[in-house]
This record gives sequence, structure tokens and C-alpha cells, in this order.
Amino acid sequence: MPSLIVCPACDLVHRGGAVPLTERTCCARCRATLHRPQGADIDGAIAIALSALVLFLLANMYPLVEFRVNGATRETTLIGAALGLYQARHATLGVLVLATTVLAPLAQILGLLYLLLPLRQKRRARRQPMVFRLLMQIRPWTFVEVFMLGAVVALVRLSAFAKVVPGIALVCCGLLMMSLAALTSRTSPEQFWHWVARSRE
Amino acid sequence: MSTVITGRALGLLVCRECHCPVRALNVARPRCPRCFAHLHMRKPHSLAVTTVLLILAAILYIPANLLPVMYTRTVFDEERDTIMSGVLVLLHSGSWPIALLVFVASIVVPLLKILALGIVLYSAWRPAPQYRQQRSDLYRLIEFVGRWSMLDIYAISLLVTLVQIQSFATIAVGWGAAAFGAVVVLTLAAARTFDERLIWDERK
Repeated sequence: MPSLIVCPACDLVHRGGAVPLTERTCCARCRATLHRPQGADIDGAIAIALSALVLFLLANMYPLVEFRVNGATRETTLIGAALGLYQARHATLGVLVLATTVLAPLAQILGLLYLLLPLRQKRRARRQPMVFRLLMQIRPWTFVEVFMLGAVVALVRLSAFAKVVPGIALVCCGLLMMSLAALTSRTSPEQFWHWVARSRE
Repeated sequence: MSTVITGRALGLLVCRECHCPVRALNVARPRCPRCFAHLHMRKPHSLAVTTVLLILAAILYIPANLLPVMYTRTVFDEERDTIMSGVLVLLHSGSWPIALLVFVASIVVPLLKILALGIVLYSAWRPAPQYRQQRSDLYRLIEFVGRWSMLDIYAISLLVTLVQIQSFATIAVGWGAAAFGAVVVLTLAAARTFDERLIWDERK
């Protein structure tokens, strides 16, 4: 019954059929998005995922910020920030920071590569539906862009009483944020299952 | 609006994960044929779970704002910062755009989220045909802005890690930050467990 579309936000039934794949359609009653454009190509998504992986590694290898006062220097990496909370006896907050800025983006990138690379050769990754569903559950908890702004706030507060130098990793983090946004918009569930359906033809 | 045809009336389920419509009238535990996700007519126990999460968030919102989130110890004195006093520090150091940003992200957004979710939930307990579109828009706004409240937690994590120079100053994390983190996670979870279709369901 492919000609019926049910709005996921208000349960209204629409007659589909003549909807072009490249256009975005909205629900007639509640204006929720019914159908996102499915024009993205799989090679582009893989390329973005690979560049996101490189940026992720750089963002975690180099210091985010360097803080100099009275001749002493301190620097921190992304993981170091989570560890700092752990050492400050707030392990739960540390886990929250680690999960949303390190683990969730990494799972997102590796998971998509695991699914898309075989799909490109018209093969299916093991446990494909489960892995993709899991990725969609993790996706809303990826907070790299929020972390970027948080870093800016911390820099401003510290610059009042010491010299603060933004590191290479901060720039990588900014670029990672953009590539993750591009990756997310290219791998909507509709798009992914469209690729899967095409690979079976 | 009696002419409206809903998926429920036709026995059509929608997969939450891939938006695929499935006819499953007399199947015991239906699953999506495409992605094998469990299918439900509405998210199970949506109203009860969301209400509990929201009440917890509203309670924790009080210590999150009253307890210090950060202690700054220097050789001379010890300063306690709540979220609001952190905003004032930023304002006095002359960076009002950043102060405004933190004020909106850590004070306005969580409060707005709790109030808005409360309104949406209340109207879902007693469904009324008025203002459905507005309530739906409000719910989508909550989903969209919710994540930005994490901003202060990230700023604190960096401050704590960087300022640990014994001779000069140290920063410690207060319980206000933990309460605040819990408020953010609880409101995000509450928004996710709520089923938007409850706003549009006609009363039986």
C-alpha cells in the first residue's frame, strides 16, 4: 500500500502517489514534514562521513584551548574536559559530557560508514536494520554544536583574568560540527531506506 | 472535523523510525517490515512517563538555580557562582552578547521547556479541539531548542579542567551543576517520550 502516507505527527492519512522524490511535502493538517527530498547520493554521504572521521580524530588528538597564567600553562582536550569533571567528583556529569561530545558523534560516523560502505556495493551489512535504528536513537544526543558555543563561553570567562589561546582542535571541532550537520541531513531514515530499496533492484 | 481520516481509524500503524505505513489490525506484536522496529498505535504509556519526567525536572529546576554550580577559590577568597550570578559576571566583564546567550540557554530555555511541556501535557490529558496547531508548533519548538541548555555544563567542564593551578586559583563543581544537568536530560527525555499525535486525537 505505497500510495497512502500517514502523518507521523498527527496520524492524518494522505493519498500519496504523485509526490516527486525531490520535493519536500508537509502534512495538510499539522504542517509536519511528511516526506524529505531523497536526492542525496551515497558517495557524497560516504565522503562526508570519512572527512568527519578525520576531523573527529584531529579534534580529539590536539588540545582544544591553552590557558596561560603566571608562566604556567594548562591545556585540555575534549576527553580531558570530561575527565576534569570526573576528577572534580562529578562523574555523572563527566559521563554526560563524554557521551554527548565524543561517543555519540563517533558512533554516528562509524555506524554510518559500517552501513553505507557495503550498501554502495549493493551488499547489506550484518544486522543492518538494528544498527540503523540504534543510530537514529543516538542521533538526537549528538551535541557538538552546543559544545562549541560552551567553549566560547568558557574562553570569554577565562580571558578576563588570563591569556587564553584557542587550539587546533577547536577549529577541527567547528568543522566537525558542520560535517555532522551535512551528514545528518543526507542520511534521513527515508533516504537510507530509499538507498536500500534501490540496492535490491 | 468529522471527515478527517486518521491512521487509527483505518488500522494503519506508522513506523516511528522510518515513517513507513503498515496495516496491522490483528497482529499481536507488530513490527515494521522495513526496519523491524516495534510498532505501536501510540507510544506506550506516553502521557504517564512524560508527566513523571516533567515533574522530576520541575522539582530539580529549583536546586539547579539556587545551589552554586561552581566554586572559584583564589588565595584571597572563595566565590560561589549560581547560574544567574555567572550571567552577571559575564555581563560585568563587558561581553553582553555572551551574557545574553548564556541567560537564554540556561535560564529562559529550561523554564520555557518545563512550562510549554506542561501546557502541552495538560491539554493532552483533557483533549480540546482549539489551538491544536499552536500546541503542535510549541512542541516542535521545545524539541528544537532543548539541546542548547547543555551549554553551561560544557562551559563548566572546560573551566574546571583548565583552572587547576594550585598557587593561583582552583574551580570546583557544585551540586547545582549536577541538578542542572539532570533538568536538561529529563526535559529532553520528556519531549521524546511524548507522542505528538495525542494533541490531535479526537476524544472517544
